[in-house]
Formats: sequence, C-alpha cells, structure tokens
Amino acid sequence: MQRMSYLESFGKWSTGLLLAGPLIVLALVVHLFGGEVLQRILTVLFINLSMVLGLQIFMGNSGVVSFAPIGFMGIGAYASALFSMSPQAKAMALRNLYSWLVPIQVPFVVAVIIGGLMAALVAALVGYPLMRLSGAAAVIATFALLIIVHTVLINWSEVTNGPRTLFGLEAYTTLWVSAATGILFLLLALWFKETPLGLQLRASREDEAAAASVGINIVWVRWVAFVLAAFVTGVAGALWAHFITSFSPLAFYLPQTFLIISMAIIGGSASVSGAVVGAVAVTAIFEGVRGVENAINISAVFPFTVSGLTEVCLSIAMILILIMRPSGILGSRELRL
Amino acid sequence: MNVLQEVLQFIINALSLGGLYALMALGLVIVYGILRLVNFAYGELVMVAGYTLLMLGAGPIPWLIVAVISVGMAVLTSLLLERVAFRPVRQASATTMLITSFAVSALLQNAAILFVSPRAKAVVTPSFFTENFQVGNLLISKGNLASLVVSLLLLGLLTLFLRRTLLGIALRAAADDFVMTRLVGIRANQVIATAFAISGFLAGVVALFWIGRLGSVGPFVGSTPVLVAFVAAVVGGMESLTGAVIGGYLLGTLTVGLQLVLPQSLLDYRQAFVFAIVLLVLLFRPQGLVRGRAVTERV
Amino acid sequence: MLSVEDVHAGYGAIIALRGVSLHVNTGELVALVGANGAGKSTLMATIAGVLRPFRGQITFEGRSLLGLSPEEIVRQGIALVPEGRRIFPSLTVAENLRLGAATRRDPAGVQRDIEEMCTRFPILGKRFHQPGGTLSGGEQQQLAIARALMSRPRLLMMDEPSLGLSPILVDEVFAMITQLHASGVTVLLVEQNVERTLDIADRVYLLNTGRVECEGTPEQLRQQVDIVGAYLGDTQERS
Repeated sequence: MQRMSYLESFGKWSTGLLLAGPLIVLALVVHLFGGEVLQRILTVLFINLSMVLGLQIFMGNSGVVSFAPIGFMGIGAYASALFSMSPQAKAMALRNLYSWLVPIQVPFVVAVIIGGLMAALVAALVGYPLMRLSGAAAVIATFALLIIVHTVLINWSEVTNGPRTLFGLEAYTTLWVSAATGILFLLLALWFKETPLGLQLRASREDEAAAASVGINIVWVRWVAFVLAAFVTGVAGALWAHFITSFSPLAFYLPQTFLIISMAIIGGSASVSGAVVGAVAVTAIFEGVRGVENAINISAVFPFTVSGLTEVCLSIAMILILIMRPSGILGSRELRL
Repeated sequence: MNVLQEVLQFIINALSLGGLYALMALGLVIVYGILRLVNFAYGELVMVAGYTLLMLGAGPIPWLIVAVISVGMAVLTSLLLERVAFRPVRQASATTMLITSFAVSALLQNAAILFVSPRAKAVVTPSFFTENFQVGNLLISKGNLASLVVSLLLLGLLTLFLRRTLLGIALRAAADDFVMTRLVGIRANQVIATAFAISGFLAGVVALFWIGRLGSVGPFVGSTPVLVAFVAAVVGGMESLTGAVIGGYLLGTLTVGLQLVLPQSLLDYRQAFVFAIVLLVLLFRPQGLVRGRAVTERV
Repeated sequence: MLSVEDVHAGYGAIIALRGVSLHVNTGELVALVGANGAGKSTLMATIAGVLRPFRGQITFEGRSLLGLSPEEIVRQGIALVPEGRRIFPSLTVAENLRLGAATRRDPAGVQRDIEEMCTRFPILGKRFHQPGGTLSGGEQQQLAIARALMSRPRLLMMDEPSLGLSPILVDEVFAMITQLHASGVTVLLVEQNVERTLDIADRVYLLNTGRVECEGTPEQLRQQVDIVGAYLGDTQERS
C-alpha cells in the first residue's frame, strides 16, 4: 500500500516534470540561440499559458464555462500599471488621475501582485452569487460580467485613459519573468486539482446532484476556484501590460476571450496538460499564420492588406475539434510517466 | 399639447425599437427552446444579410428585391450553419454546442474581415429610412414607423404559424419534449431546420431595419443585435417565446427611456447598467418574467 | 406481427436487456410483467427506436425496424403511450391530439377521429382548448392514449398506463384497454399491476433482469410460477 502511494504521488508529480521540463528547455534554447522575435513569441506563449491555466483552474475543474477571465486580465493590467508607473509617466498619460494615486509607485513584482489581487477581489465580490449558476445561465452571466468590466474600463477615463491608449509602462516582463510565472502557475494548477477542494470541485463537475448529496458545498468550492483563477488571470494581465507597454480597453474583449477559450477547448480544458498543449498549439498556429499573413502583406501579392486569416484558421480548427473530439486533444487525461 | 406630443413620440420610438428587439430575441429563443443552444452566431446572420444589402444595394436592382434576397441569404446561412456546424454537435453537451456557436461567430466575423474589410462600409438605403412626415405638430420617422408596423405584422404571422399549422405546433411541442415529439412521428431534422430557418428569417428582417438605421455594415454589425437578444431573452425568459417578445419591448422602452432621463455622463455606462440587470434577473428570477417549462439550470 | 429476437440493449455501460425474444400476433393483447429494473421500459424504448440495440433483430410485419428513427417507426404503424404520459404540457388538448396524427395526410379523417376521441373520452372534449399541463393525472393518461390512437396504429404499446393513478382511475384505464382490445387494436402492455394485467391479457411474458423468464397464457403463468415471488424475486440484484 505504502509503495503504491509513493508510486501514485510520483505519477502525479511526473505530470509537472513532463509539462514544465520541455517548456524550460524551450525557454533556455530560445534564450541562448533565438532572435528577438522568437523571444517575444515565447514570452507571449508563457503569458497565454498563465491565462489558459487561469481558465483551467475554474472552468476545467468545475465544468462551468466562464467568459469573465479577459475582464480580470484587464483589471490586472490596469491595476498593475497604476502602481508601477512613475509619477512623471502618469502625469503624461493620465491627466485626470486622482491626485492621491499619482505619487504611488511600487516595485514591479509588487505591482503585479496588486494586479492579481485586484482581479481576485473583484471576482470575490461579484462571484459568490454567480456560482449558483451552471450551463447556459452561467455563460450568459459571466458574459454579462465581461461586458460590465469592459464598459467600466472604457468609461472610467480617470484611471484608464478612457477608450484611448494608455502608454508609458516600463517593459519589465522579460522572457524569464513570464516563463517563471507560467511554470509556477502550472504547478499551482496541478496542485489545486489534487487538493481536497479541487477534488470536490471535480466531483461537482461530474454530477452536481450527487456531489451536493454527499455534502459538498458547490457554491463555495466554485467560488474559491473562481477567485484563485481571477488572481492567476490578473497576474497574467499585469505581465502582459508590462510586456506590450501600451494598450487600450479594446484589448480586453471578445477576440481575446475567443483566443484563450480556443486554447482550452483545443487542448482539453479538463486537464492541466490539455491547457498546456492548447496554449502551445494555439500560440504556434496563431504566430505561424500571422507570419504568413505578414509575409503576404509585405510582399504585396494582393492589392489589399490581409487580416483575419489567423482567426479564421483558428475558429475552423476549433469547430473541427468540437465536432470530432469535444473534450479536446487530451481530454481529461494528464500526461504521466 | 407639448407633453402629449412628447408622450406620443416616446411611444412610437419605444414601440419601434422594442419591436426590433423583440424580433431579435425571438430569433434566439426559438432555437434555444428546442436545442438548448445559445447561438452566439445569431448576430452574424444579421451581418450576412447586411453584406448582401451592401453588395446588391449599389446595383440596378430595386431595393425591395435586394431586401428579399438579403433575408433569403440570412435564412440560407442559418440552415447551412445548422447542417455543417450544429448538427454534428447536437448530441454533445449544451456547453459544447454553445462554444461551437461562439467559434462559428468568430469564423464569420473574421471571414468578413478577411474577404471584405475590417472597416464598416456605407450601405445605400432607401431614402424613407431617414425621411420624416408630419402629423399636426408631430414629426414621425418613416423608418421607425415601418419597423413598428413590420415587427407587429411578423409577430402576428409567427403566432398564426405556431398555432395553426402542424409544423408550428410541432415546433412548440419540441420545446416541451423533443423526444416525445419524435415519438409522435415529427421528423427531428425538419423541426430543427424550421427553427433555424425562422431564426435566420428574423435576423434578416432585423438586418434591414438595423442597418437602415446605422447606414453602414461591418464585421461586427451583429454584436449589438445578439447582445440585445441575450438581454431581452434572459429578462423575458429563455424558455418562452412570449417572454422573448415582452423582454424585447421592455428593453426597447428602457433604452429609449434612459436616453431621455439619464445625464450624458451616466449614459456612457448604460450598457453596464443593462447587463447588471441581466445578472440580477439571472440570480433572482432565473426563469425570467415569463416562466417556461424548466427553470434555468442552477445548483 | 411484431417479433423481437435476442435483443441486447442498454444505456452506455449499463446493460438492461440480455437477449430478449418475444412476439405479438395481430389482434392480441400481450403483457410484459416483471420487477422494477427488469428491462420492460428499455424494451419499449428499443422497439420505439429511442434506443439502438447492441445486438438482435426487431421486425414488424416482416420489415426490420433496426436503424429506423423513432419518427420512421411511427410511420410503420406503431404508437407508444410512454411511461409518465409525456403529453405536451404547453399545448392544448386539441393540439396534442392533432400532433398525434402528425403522420397522417387525411385532414378530414383526422378531424373525424378527433371528434371520435372526444366522444370516447368525454373529458378531453370538455378540456379541448386547455393546455395539457393543466389536466389531472387521469385526464393526462386519457389524453396520452387518445394521442397515440390518433395515428391509427396497428400496434399500440403502453408503458405503465396505470402508474400513479387513483384506484378508481386504474379501473377506468383497464376498462379502456379491454375496450380498445375488443375493438381490434393489437396491444403490447407493460404493467406493474400484475393481477389486473393477467385478467385482461391474451399472453404474458415475465421479464427478469433483462431476460424472459417465462411466457404463456395468464392461466399457464399462474400455474407455472408463484407470480408474487418472481415479481419481488431479485430486486436486490439491481435496483
């Protein structure tokens, strides 16, 4: 028995090794030999990975589809920007910022954590009542939440510069910052799945009524996952903000939602391995097709600019997966030794 | 007299916008009732009709014929999507169907970006959309009046169809109990295709007036109609066609009303308010104003 | 008329029928009895085309029903009165009846039959324009039977028509079945009310955990087995 459980726990940890190992090697290789373009792509890959892991923590374990994450990403991005920007930069970019916020500036890491916490706080406040909903109702509710956050970001010009671009952030997010965060969240997601709470959440995914009948407080376990996921997503948003350095609220809406949901669906949202595979595959498709798109546009084969090709390919891939393998490439299986 | 005028103006505007909203909501709910599919791609049917208007509108064909063709294109697209994308996932979970429709929506939007243009283009619309006529001191927009009349007419026709024809009755029966409907001999594919055809038809008609109001069509022209349909359907009750109509008129009235009473600074947040209402309805009255068969799933 | 041979069927990994064979001759009233979970409803669902059997053959009037959808099987002349009645609650009684005749192409005949149903089941005439959901249990059962008859079936399958009804209504339902049978309708009846069923059936099959345990006339069955014993026999095995 004892032996079995060692083996068992090694099996579980081997998933982390199998997933993180190649990613670390990849980051190392690109760091040493890759050019700037590859490094940027990989940085984006790890940010995407954090995003989709956030989705996996909630949606993958609970089975409830959430359209809210991009809203939390936006909150994380703006909140961290407000705390990381220098007073001078703020004076330039945010003319109408509340005066008490202008002088506050904290180290990058602290600002990122504040971004995650702000997202988690909003999720905690509005999330609890929403956790009663499942199925179509949950989708529409989280969709409504996304729209509300988006509308507020666009109109709260004191802190977001309104619909205009916010600029002047420092590019703190390097490849290693984003890789370390992505791998940290990878281990977090694997760990969370196996905690008693994660197990209860997965039980409720299989059968709500049965889970409730053995005393699982479904609303509570979902809420914890929702808040944790919002933190992860908020941190990812903060990293993205300090990678791209200038952005507007338009960056946090349906196209991005589509992108990360496609990662979760293509890889298989029920497992962490699926999330990793999805993030890698979609980022690869996305960057690959975009490369083709750019090449076409630069060579001016057509008299007009080609855009949208990437998303067209991605949505076709997603529809095919949904028809042929609705649980994604990996389904609910984790990679194991 | 002045007050009376404003009241009349308000009623006409509210009924006109509400009628359009009711049609949008109906198109969404008629499919949801049978398949449990929340069809995100519904807005793109409006877009397809809009692009047909754009392409044929500038030519020599009379507008009315162009309009008929546009509605036809929306119907065809709806049927095609059912056959190609939704039928293969019909047996899968509601979540899978919903995400499929989300992907289809993204596909159509980006296909429009790719093959037409990322930017909105001006559509030639008949002049009556922007013309007004005067009754006493009252200035009435012909476009508004037309959408008011057409939506009432369509609601009437749809009611007749659903109550008087076998297919219509079967459609209502399928929303009650789909398997039993098959057990009395109604063909599943026929009922579902009919629902999608009606959905496409309503989207097409909505497009005529919606794009008439906007004066342009772009890849994202369908997002507002689909959001409006969501809101109206949730508020009125996803399970009930009557609820969808009531929700539509209610939302139309609310929109016109808020425009009148809210100061500009808050008006920008209007969308946030409307969706906050959606959240509240989902939480406290998940079945909507009109209770249908089953209450929305919740723990 | 109907013949079922070695049918295996179930839901996913749960196997409910393990090689059931039976037949129904024209004009007969054949009853299926057995404990809860014996597979009676599964068999009905399989014949009606809602479930696909893993193995076996089902033929009706010489034609195979395998692979046909429920809507096609109705067109072969088989109608089902399902367990739990399943009338359409938001449709009026009139609309429920009209849908029952969905497969027919003779509007005048349909109209005549609707009138006849209202004579045969007077309560349906009284509630003609009321939504089905507002009817009482017994009224809904009558509506479910009338709806099935509207397709003019050559074989009528009834799944637990007396379930959940008050004793007086149970009497009525059994009287109704006898009357239908007397008027020439072939009936395949699933019932838990074994004693009453044996009184009216021509032949009986006793199902037990997915197999036919024995078959015969009611008299033979009464002699062969202790019905009550078999009925309660192995509920512990699967429930």
